[in-house]
Amino acid sequence: MNILTPQELADVMKEAAGDGFQSARCTEWAEGVKGLTSKQVWVNLSRESLRPAIQRLIDIHYPHVAVIAFADTGEQVDLIYHLYIYYGIPHEEVLITLTVSLDKTDLKIPTITDLIPGALTSEREKQEMLGIEVVGIPDGRRLFLPEDFPEGVYPWRKDESGIPSDMIKELWATGREGLPTCATCEAPPLAPASQGEPS
Amino acid sequence: MNLNPLLLTVGGTLAMAAFGLFAGLSAMAVDRILAARMQARIGPPFRQPFLDMAKLMTKQNIIPANAVPWLFNGAPLVALAASISILLYLPMASFQFLPILNVYGDLVLIMYLLLLPALAMVIGGLSSGSPYATIGAQREMVTMIAYELPLAATVVAFAWKLSHAGLADPFSLATMAQTPIWSLVGPMGDIGVGLLLISMLMVVPGELGRIPFDAPEAETELAGGLLVEYSGRNLALFLLSLAVKTIVVGALIIALFFPYNLSGMVAIGNGLAARLADVGFFFVKLFVILFFSLSLVRISVARFRINQVVDVYWKIVGAISLIGLVLIMADSIIR
Amino acid sequence: MKTLEVKKPSGYTSQFGPAHPAFKEPVMFTLELEGERILKADFAPGQAHRGIEWMGMRRNCLQVVFLAERICGLCGITHALSFCRAVEQIAQIQPSNRAHYIRTIIAELERIHSHLLWAGVEAHQLGFDSAFYLALKVRENVLDLLEALTGSRVHYSVIQIGGVRRDITPEQCADIEKSLQFYDETYEKLVSIFLEDTSIKMRCRDTGVLTPELALKLCPVGPTARASGIRKDVRVDHPYAAYADLDIHPILPDEYTGEIRGDVYDRIVVRILELKQSIGIIRECIAKMPEEGDLLAIPKLGVLLAKLKAADGEAVGRHEAPRGEVMHYVRLTAGEEAPTAWKVKASSYSNYMAWIPMLEGDQIADIPVIVASIDPCISCTDRVAMVRGDHTELLTKDDLHRLSVERMRRIQAELSAG
Repeated sequence: MNILTPQELADVMKEAAGDGFQSARCTEWAEGVKGLTSKQVWVNLSRESLRPAIQRLIDIHYPHVAVIAFADTGEQVDLIYHLYIYYGIPHEEVLITLTVSLDKTDLKIPTITDLIPGALTSEREKQEMLGIEVVGIPDGRRLFLPEDFPEGVYPWRKDESGIPSDMIKELWATGREGLPTCATCEAPPLAPASQGEPS
Repeated sequence: MNLNPLLLTVGGTLAMAAFGLFAGLSAMAVDRILAARMQARIGPPFRQPFLDMAKLMTKQNIIPANAVPWLFNGAPLVALAASISILLYLPMASFQFLPILNVYGDLVLIMYLLLLPALAMVIGGLSSGSPYATIGAQREMVTMIAYELPLAATVVAFAWKLSHAGLADPFSLATMAQTPIWSLVGPMGDIGVGLLLISMLMVVPGELGRIPFDAPEAETELAGGLLVEYSGRNLALFLLSLAVKTIVVGALIIALFFPYNLSGMVAIGNGLAARLADVGFFFVKLFVILFFSLSLVRISVARFRINQVVDVYWKIVGAISLIGLVLIMADSIIR
Repeated sequence: MKTLEVKKPSGYTSQFGPAHPAFKEPVMFTLELEGERILKADFAPGQAHRGIEWMGMRRNCLQVVFLAERICGLCGITHALSFCRAVEQIAQIQPSNRAHYIRTIIAELERIHSHLLWAGVEAHQLGFDSAFYLALKVRENVLDLLEALTGSRVHYSVIQIGGVRRDITPEQCADIEKSLQFYDETYEKLVSIFLEDTSIKMRCRDTGVLTPELALKLCPVGPTARASGIRKDVRVDHPYAAYADLDIHPILPDEYTGEIRGDVYDRIVVRILELKQSIGIIRECIAKMPEEGDLLAIPKLGVLLAKLKAADGEAVGRHEAPRGEVMHYVRLTAGEEAPTAWKVKASSYSNYMAWIPMLEGDQIADIPVIVASIDPCISCTDRVAMVRGDHTELLTKDDLHRLSVERMRRIQAELSAG
């Protein structure tokens, strides 16, 4: 197999993404006495060029989808696809990260499960946790959240659709005087221990 | 007076029941301690099974909403009653008055009675209203069908041999206890009887629901299988019926294959000393049989799948017992 | 005349879990069964979610290291290590080589202890309790060793951003060597019990098969993938810690059996052989460990926190846990203490999808065996949002909370009275 360098891989991704390509960079990190480096390629591209880029990677070496990570950057939600190629060849594995930034007003992304079926778990998780609609997903049920979790609450979002404060139970708040009473039970505040009076 | 034999029978039944329960729980204790020692553990104290039964009797008896109450509660009683009733037909040691119901039952009746506790467990499982119990009950039925073959072959072999030797009542256990089968067969027959013994020893774990044949109660697959919904007194009754069945199966094998008594071999006379020696010898025989067929096997192998259980019982154990049967017949014909 | 339409009996649906003796952690399987055969399988994880990523995004990086370790008890160090590696790449903090070697030694000791526990659990699922007791008894040796080295048997708390918190002295190296010799001696016994026993082979051969094509497409990791012939091992593919200096190869089952079938037995083979590999790796690390080197690149925590607060960027930290690849994605923003984004990918997360093809076509009796064969670590996988809403299920939790408050009152009363 002809092993491409990270820069060559970045160029391949640029060509596959076409107009949707936004930026690319290559990084390295070395550990150990011998100082061998591990290689990463980080590519930012648009949602339309995601599938062609992944198809191009499949032609090079069937990638291993690790996970689809996320970031809530205020106006946008980033979906970060981590793919590995060249596993099996000692010290040659390359991490290829494809970052797609979606506006919060238009949270849709096409599925990649027809190309790589193993991405299903990750896509289901992103749907329920971030409120993203994955178009064409074969199984769109909730994965980790229970069925009676309220609709419209997306735990990983940092805006108003994240977890509201009345859903958080602070275990340290046991209703002491001067501290907020517990949100879910009506236990009256306890007298502080220093006063020596049990309530 | 006509009451006397009746009183003796009733009293004897109660005494046998008490003996069966006590000896059964003691056998369980010995099995657990030995298995633990073989696994580099310490094991429970000897009185553990007794404590367990006492504890279960005091626990709440929960009847699931989906269950059929009269079947659910009746099954354990039937199981225990059936197990104890088999004890009444078995000879033990050299007591002349055993079996208590000597003239009323023989080996064929025992074969049928052996089915009852297992059937009661199946019915109890099916009436539990739980999918795990249903699967466990189905497996128990399949296991019962599987081990009937070697059991039937053994019974047929013994009866055939005894009737061929001209003895009256070939199916009666008292007859078998008085004329051990080894004395009736030649060398080829000895091998045949030996094969029958091996097949019976392999039937024992299946009858008692122990590894490797405990698919009906597989703890890790079915969360308890048949017995998953049972608790409290009902569970105690089922476990007691299994304990008594242990003694039953052991005593049956002794009656068939090793009915020898110390007082017959060594000159001790016929008094109390002889009785005690025979009882002691009986327990030694029981212990050896249960050790080899239960404890040793249980810790040495993994559990079989249900289709493997059927394969093992029909193909392997069945073949062994049928070959044993053929050898005994051939031996008699040749001699 | 009406003819009776005979409907072919269809399968019935049965639910296994979430609480079941077959599963060491809660996970719910819904199976369509026909007699004993499984027609279709579906699983619902998430029964043990605790909201760890949500919590982590509201704490500073040093707190997150300890939080990450507690994602899982069996592979705790892998999460701490992956997170620290990610943060070190962002902040450009390079641990010393001695720290790298200590990290590797502790990680390999964790692999030994995890594989032995897994072997015991698999034997228990098979009904072979003697092997279960033996594996756990043998495992006590490595747990005692880890306690001597790090102070605890499970959550070691030795990994810190920039290095390790504890050193391995030459006396401790001698203790490690004694333990390794014990494992060399018991290795033969383990092989003869787990790999050569007939009843185990009867149950495990051709059970729970994952074909190489599916293993490629469903992206499993670790021994699950290697048993199906995919050569994926983070320690080999990706140079990190001390693994880059060692010469190791991914273990595939054909080293022992000569062929690759991808069944449960192959997974047992891979894990038992990896035990031997780990023993060799630890020996090599002790021999090659550099004598000089700081344990921590930035020993003062205040300085470290300030540097992390100023760090900006994103990175991925990985480690080969006993179950497969563990990957943490971290994004830090300058000026903020808490990570902007933190995504944890545990190895069982990737292995989940492999359960479905493995279960379909097999029998109920094989469910616990197959489920345990991918060595699931549900706690690693269920880390998502804290779910504490106002729904009826919570009434019991309110009761518990009320009881807890009352207990608190009693304690306070005792304290103030006494």
